[in-house]
Amino acid sequence: MSKHRVSRRQFLTYTLTGVGGFMAAGMLMPMVRFAIDPVLTAEAGGDFIATPLKIKDITNEPQRVDFTFEQKDAWYTSDVTNTAWVYKDEQDNIVALSPVCKHLGCTVAWGTDKAHPDEFFCPCHFGRYTKDGTNVKGTPPIAPLDVYPIQEKDGLLYLGKAEPKTKEA
Amino acid sequence: MKWVSKDIETYSTAKEYVDTAVIPIYSVSFGNEMKQSASNAEFITLLTTYLERQFTGRLLLVPPFTYLKSDNQEDILQQLKKWEENIETSEFKHIFYITTEIDWKNFEKELTGSLIWLPSLPLEHLNDSQKISMVESQVKQLLSLFTQKWHENL
Repeated sequence: MSKHRVSRRQFLTYTLTGVGGFMAAGMLMPMVRFAIDPVLTAEAGGDFIATPLKIKDITNEPQRVDFTFEQKDAWYTSDVTNTAWVYKDEQDNIVALSPVCKHLGCTVAWGTDKAHPDEFFCPCHFGRYTKDGTNVKGTPPIAPLDVYPIQEKDGLLYLGKAEPKTKEA
Repeated sequence: MKWVSKDIETYSTAKEYVDTAVIPIYSVSFGNEMKQSASNAEFITLLTTYLERQFTGRLLLVPPFTYLKSDNQEDILQQLKKWEENIETSEFKHIFYITTEIDWKNFEKELTGSLIWLPSLPLEHLNDSQKISMVESQVKQLLSLFTQKWHENL
């Protein structure tokens, strides 16, 4: 192997290219990051909120679950507590219903009307919903109760943002 | 419904369903009683907010009626009566006043609406979840009072 001698000129060229390259990279990296930023953002799965309810404690009977999250109103941040009615349907699927009446937004509860113990009842204008959240015809509500998307993590129930049920009554 | 433009908009399209007005009442005083005054106001605010959440579709939560505690009681009463007149003319069948001031009990008969007096609970040393459960249990008792009143005038 022949001894390859590095001349002064070559040595300077190599070092300068090297250092210059690092500097250019240092400047370009943040720019590239900014440019492709939307690709790097985390998946929106963080919107699911933990509830204190364990998956194994969910029964066929709707039960009330309160969960708290932070809500931002303009620049005012506050802890908001929301409620869900959770149960297992006949196919063992977990159903989480929003308690907000589709009529004018009162809070409905399960089985509070003595005449209809197996329905959700709104005390404001006597609106009723069947167990799966479908509005009973002839009562004021015009749409079924909203449904929370659900997730299971570490045996606990996680709820997303309530969405309108697609199927109309 | 709350006293915000969005809710009032809904209200004007669904007037026939919203027949109840709720007015929180609390006094303001300075000096030594400042802290007590603030604590009362905090309690009433939390309580009525929670109440509004339960009955959003049927009641309108009016901004609180406030007055200086040192003021002449007769003047304050006249002021509140003016509010009452205005609310009544805008088609509210039921008016509820919610307060922690025991003084109002003396004027209950002079008011058309129902006066609900509650002892103020000191919430300052509680954490959020304790606060919520405390207010919740208070509101639960109020709920039946409201539904009862609604059933009376069906």
